[in-house]
Parts: sequence; C-alpha cells; structure tokens
Amino acid sequence: MNENEIIAKAQKGDRAALSKLVKMYEQTVYNFAYKICRDKEKAEHTMQETFLSMVKSINQFSGKSKLSTWLYTVVSNHCLMMARSNKKHAYISLDDESALIDPKNITDWDIAPDKFAENKELGGILDEVIKKLAPEYRVVFMLRDIQGFSTEETAEAIGLSVPAVKSRLHRARAFLRNELNSTFGYEKRL
Amino acid sequence: MKKDYKITCKDVMNHICDTLGEDLNSPTCTTLKSHLDSCESCQKYYKSISHTILVYKKDEWEISSDTHNKLLDFLGLEDCD
Repeated sequence: MNENEIIAKAQKGDRAALSKLVKMYEQTVYNFAYKICRDKEKAEHTMQETFLSMVKSINQFSGKSKLSTWLYTVVSNHCLMMARSNKKHAYISLDDESALIDPKNITDWDIAPDKFAENKELGGILDEVIKKLAPEYRVVFMLRDIQGFSTEETAEAIGLSVPAVKSRLHRARAFLRNELNSTFGYEKRL
Repeated sequence: MKKDYKITCKDVMNHICDTLGEDLNSPTCTTLKSHLDSCESCQKYYKSISHTILVYKKDEWEISSDTHNKLLDFLGLEDCD
C-alpha cells in the first residue's frame, strides 16, 4: 500500500492507517523538532501537537503538497509559537549584516563532515552554537538548508516574504559559520 | 561614461551567503563566480559555509521507544501499535 492509499484509509476513519502514518513520520518529525527546539521535552511536545493536528485535520489534507511538507510546516510554526511565548532568552542581534562577514577572518577548515556523526564532542559544540541563533533564523536555516525547501516554499510555510527569507538565511548562514570558525578553522588566518 | 565597479571579497562572500545552493551560472553571477574561481580566500569561505550546512544536516536525533510509546498514548492509538 502506498502513502496516498494509507492517507485515503485514514481519511475514512481507519485508526490503523492513522497509526501507520504516525510511525512512518515520527522519526522525521522528532528529528526536525529537536533540531529547532534543541530540547528533548520541547521536541516531544512539538511532535505530539504536530501529530494531533494531523489526526484532527487529515480529512482536509488535499494531497497538493507532500504530507512531509505539511508536517514540517506545522513543526516550524509550533516551535516559533513556543519561542514567542518564552521571551526570557535574549539572542544575539543579527541586525548589523555588514558585521557578519569579515574578509580578515577567513581560515581553512579542518573538518571531515562524513566522520562528524562519530564525534560526540563536536555534536555538543553544534548544539551550543545553534542555540545562540534566534528561532526565527533557526527555522529558516533548517527548512531551507537542511530540509531542502525552496525559498518560496519556506516563505509560504512560515508566512514570510521571499526577501525576508533570503535575508534571514543569509544572516543565519554567516552567523553559524562565524561561530563554528573558532572550532573548525586553522589558527593561521589568511 | 560607465564607471568600473571593482568587486571585493566581501561582495563575493555576501553573494555566497545569498546564493549557495542556487544557480551560480545565471548571468548576474558570472562576474562574481569568476572572482570566486580565482580567489583562494573566497573559496575557503565558500567551503566553510558549505560545511556549516553539511554538519547540521548530519546532526541526527533518534526517537526513543519511550517517546514513541508516549506519542501513541497521547494520540489514543496505543492499541494500533
């Protein structure tokens, strides 16, 4: 049975089909929620709310976009909503775009991305670095660069204009790169 | 008279941040791409931005069986597991 057939069964109230959809996407949704929230409890909560939305709205799913695209959109907006309700955390301002790129601060990177998953210490560094990035930038970076959404799809998913997505992506990439430069860059500056 | 515009490394680095993953062969990119091809510093910046994206792509978080069970309980689908 393919995904469309499972969705059609779920739309007719077949609970086993709903359960099958949950199992098909729980890993994807949890992974994505964790990457944005950077917190196990928040990621679990986001995943639960995302699948609850799916169960409640499966009848309205038209199939025009992929189910995974719809799920990523729900996760993104839920994470943004949680971040807006928790304004205790102050993030580094990225308003000064010109300060994000300094041609004097360019180094060669000593990194083998293929072996990255084996290194837990580096995993902790990634965690600390992305936590410094404000959620509204984090979500754009994750949708566009990590999940492979187009700029237009990203804009539609989180209700931004295309220029706003481009600006946030630009700043997020430059910020993360700068933060990781002290870990991966050779000491000798060019 | 048309004034010559000299491209700086900062222009190219900004461009890398704007367009990575998009079509670098578009006509507007040609001059910047030409600089990138011959500038070691900009090539290193391009590589570091690419690797920033790659390391976050490889950052995977697995769902535990406990989290899976809690999800099915929450949705009232535990009997369908």
